[in-house]
Amino acid sequence: MSVKELNISPVGRVEGDLDVKVYIDNGKVTRAHTQAAMFRGFEKIMAGKDPQSGLIVTPRICGICGGSHLYCASSALDTAWGTKLSPNALLLRAIGQASETLQSIPRWYYAIFATDLANKKYADKPLYKEVVKRWSAYVGETFQIGLTASGLPVQIYALFGGQWPHSSYMVPGGVMCAPTLKDVTRAHAILAQFKNDWLEPVWLGCSIERYMEIKTWDDMLAWVDENESQRNSDLGLLIRAGLEFGLDKFGQGVGKFLATGTYLHKDLYNNPTIEGRNNALIQSSGFFDGENYHEFDHMKVSEHVKHSWYNDQEDGLHPWDEPLPTPAESQTLHDSDFDSQYSWSKAPRYDGHAAEAGPLARVIMNANPNNKDHQIKDPLFGDIIKKLGPSVFTRVLARVHEAPRIYKFIEQWLSEIDLDGEFYTKPVEKDGKGFGATEAARGALAHWIEIKDGVIKNYQVMAPTTWNVGPQDGNDNPGPIETALLGTKIEDPLDPVEVGIVARSFDSCLVCTVHAHDAQSGVELSRFKL
Amino acid sequence: MANVLWLQGGACSGNTMSFLNAEEPTVVELITDFGLNILWHPTTGLQIGDQVQDLLKDILEGKVQMDILVYEGSLIQGPNNTGSMNFFADRPMMEWIKELSEVAGYVVAIGDCATWGGIPAVPPNPSESTGLQFHKKEKGGFLGADYVSKGGLPVINIPGCPAHPDWITQILVAIAVGRIGDVQIDDYHRPKTFFTNFVQDGCTNVTNFAQKVDGGFGTRGGCLFYEVGCRGPMTRASCNNILWNRQSSKTRTNHPCLGCTEPGFPHHDLKKGSVFNTMKYLGFLPREVPEGRTKLAYYIEAGFQKVLPKNHKVMETSK
Repeated sequence: MSVKELNISPVGRVEGDLDVKVYIDNGKVTRAHTQAAMFRGFEKIMAGKDPQSGLIVTPRICGICGGSHLYCASSALDTAWGTKLSPNALLLRAIGQASETLQSIPRWYYAIFATDLANKKYADKPLYKEVVKRWSAYVGETFQIGLTASGLPVQIYALFGGQWPHSSYMVPGGVMCAPTLKDVTRAHAILAQFKNDWLEPVWLGCSIERYMEIKTWDDMLAWVDENESQRNSDLGLLIRAGLEFGLDKFGQGVGKFLATGTYLHKDLYNNPTIEGRNNALIQSSGFFDGENYHEFDHMKVSEHVKHSWYNDQEDGLHPWDEPLPTPAESQTLHDSDFDSQYSWSKAPRYDGHAAEAGPLARVIMNANPNNKDHQIKDPLFGDIIKKLGPSVFTRVLARVHEAPRIYKFIEQWLSEIDLDGEFYTKPVEKDGKGFGATEAARGALAHWIEIKDGVIKNYQVMAPTTWNVGPQDGNDNPGPIETALLGTKIEDPLDPVEVGIVARSFDSCLVCTVHAHDAQSGVELSRFKL
Repeated sequence: MANVLWLQGGACSGNTMSFLNAEEPTVVELITDFGLNILWHPTTGLQIGDQVQDLLKDILEGKVQMDILVYEGSLIQGPNNTGSMNFFADRPMMEWIKELSEVAGYVVAIGDCATWGGIPAVPPNPSESTGLQFHKKEKGGFLGADYVSKGGLPVINIPGCPAHPDWITQILVAIAVGRIGDVQIDDYHRPKTFFTNFVQDGCTNVTNFAQKVDGGFGTRGGCLFYEVGCRGPMTRASCNNILWNRQSSKTRTNHPCLGCTEPGFPHHDLKKGSVFNTMKYLGFLPREVPEGRTKLAYYIEAGFQKVLPKNHKVMETSK
């Protein structure tokens, strides 16, 4: 089971199978390699084409976060062309991004993650029976409710973008649509239905407002035990079962986090520039090294290819300086030499460090004391990281923690649309460089573009899964998932579900094949798809 | 009752995501009420690893019946026709597909990549991608022009980027309940029931099209055919009859139709000046005219319409 991978660093790798090789010693993982196994070459397709090609092409890199790619592609052109963005345009882009992310939360939780907790590995746990009853694929009681409700937020996206997935309604200079009161009213109604069908009664067991009062890990635990309704909600069960099943004990990762931030404020980014972006974000960007927060600077991002199937490229180049990819010869996992090239994914680094991208990175940035008044201030995960540290459990909790806040944002932004205002300002095309970024549901996403002689000269995409699933870098330091697998206890080598749980906690867009090897003899024990 | 195997090659999951939005029936109902048994799906399948490989082998050996093979994504043949840019379960995906297509009751290609190559096949086509039975407009593709499945049909193409969930679920249900005989397919192997009418049928701007009232981005009303490259009049799909996500469609939200259900999407291969822009002769005559008209007839008709005075009621819009 899987989501598939978006294995993209320049635009152009493929979502497809990720293979993982782990070495097990005394029941624990001692070495792990991730291998992305599909190539499409998107950046090569865009080179030499119309500068706006990214608006159509990049959403098709990944149908799971196509709206996020669109947010980046339009933003990259905004900075390259120096467009004007009206408050309405910024609001409607933010609503689209937020609807896509809100859709992804129940869809990921029920279809991708929670079914693992129904694995027989946990059969002897007291809460196992309840987990199976609710979260078994297709037949689970709340699986059905959650999966069906996940289609609602993207109905809102369709009201403004025409359809989801794969609209291109965000364009440099604003948005294509000019909604009417009918659209805004309907969006409010759909949002309320999402809340009434799933978010409050099934997921939280309380009001959104009550949940958002939680500020510390102790508050969270007290919230669970506050009443039967919260204790028995799906979130209440996730917290109780997660701790009972020991999900807080493995899958730590590199302990460094990167967020490019998202939701540009309607009044703070009307003249888009790369320099002005950090300040205009509602969900702040940043790099957290485990101790301290650092301001995000896109110039500190680089990519390594020593272990990737690309030739004729140096390690550690900034995306603007990267060449279009020259594919090398790939091998199956069996035939791969892990001291050499072994993945279609590149290895992104921030200031030289491997960093985890994703909702956990985002909620850690929300706890940054330097956040401004228009930015999210939420100390909860600052506290959780101190008390529990990163783990599968923390990562999943972060993923679902965002739903109530995003809900409130969409409600607020809908009410701020000025139906008499502008939605689009026609830009003037010119040559130059651009940078656009956002937070896809599964983490930091950024596009870099260079336009020369009126066509695309270079287009590079760095996706959250690339950050998380990338191979070793030029100094042979492993990537976040490779690191998170280390030390994982594998109870049954013939069914190493723990590896799957770690990889899925990152919400990677991948299908993985895990090959478990005996560290002493090198004999293959089993393999399975994630 | 029908067993379905769903595989993805050079895919983005967009069609899977679209499928998960299905409403009547929902994906859950498809399984619980319509007797569709999903043998495996990369996003929701529970079997892992060896179990998947064993399943594939059982299908090939005839131990498990595969009534429908659904394929999403392009067929990756690169580099140099080896298929090694897309390994799946230890082999190039194209080898699996070749063998599975020989035992499938019906083969359904979902989305533009699977039907005719889609975006991955845009020149220079770095992954040597193609569709199952077409390469752009040309019949052949990976399985060849003469391929027919055990059920006696060629590959059924459900194009779109992505395909609409109803197009997917209704064809799967038709096979499952034994009514595939009622589904007629056109020259591009598309079910006629969805791909006979044009996107323009049911477009809310159709009066503006007839009276040559221009629209554009960020404005209400007006037709997108003249300036921003809408392909509604030459694209067969039901987008304005069976709405998207129950709510709307591209043209209803002022988004030009990109023509994604026609082979050749993205049209003009994204060359400079072709994106969100109507390509013209002499700066004012659209190069591509609505389906079923000669250029000359259309230019005369449109020119005539253009000089007639506009009724202000047609021009009116409201927030």
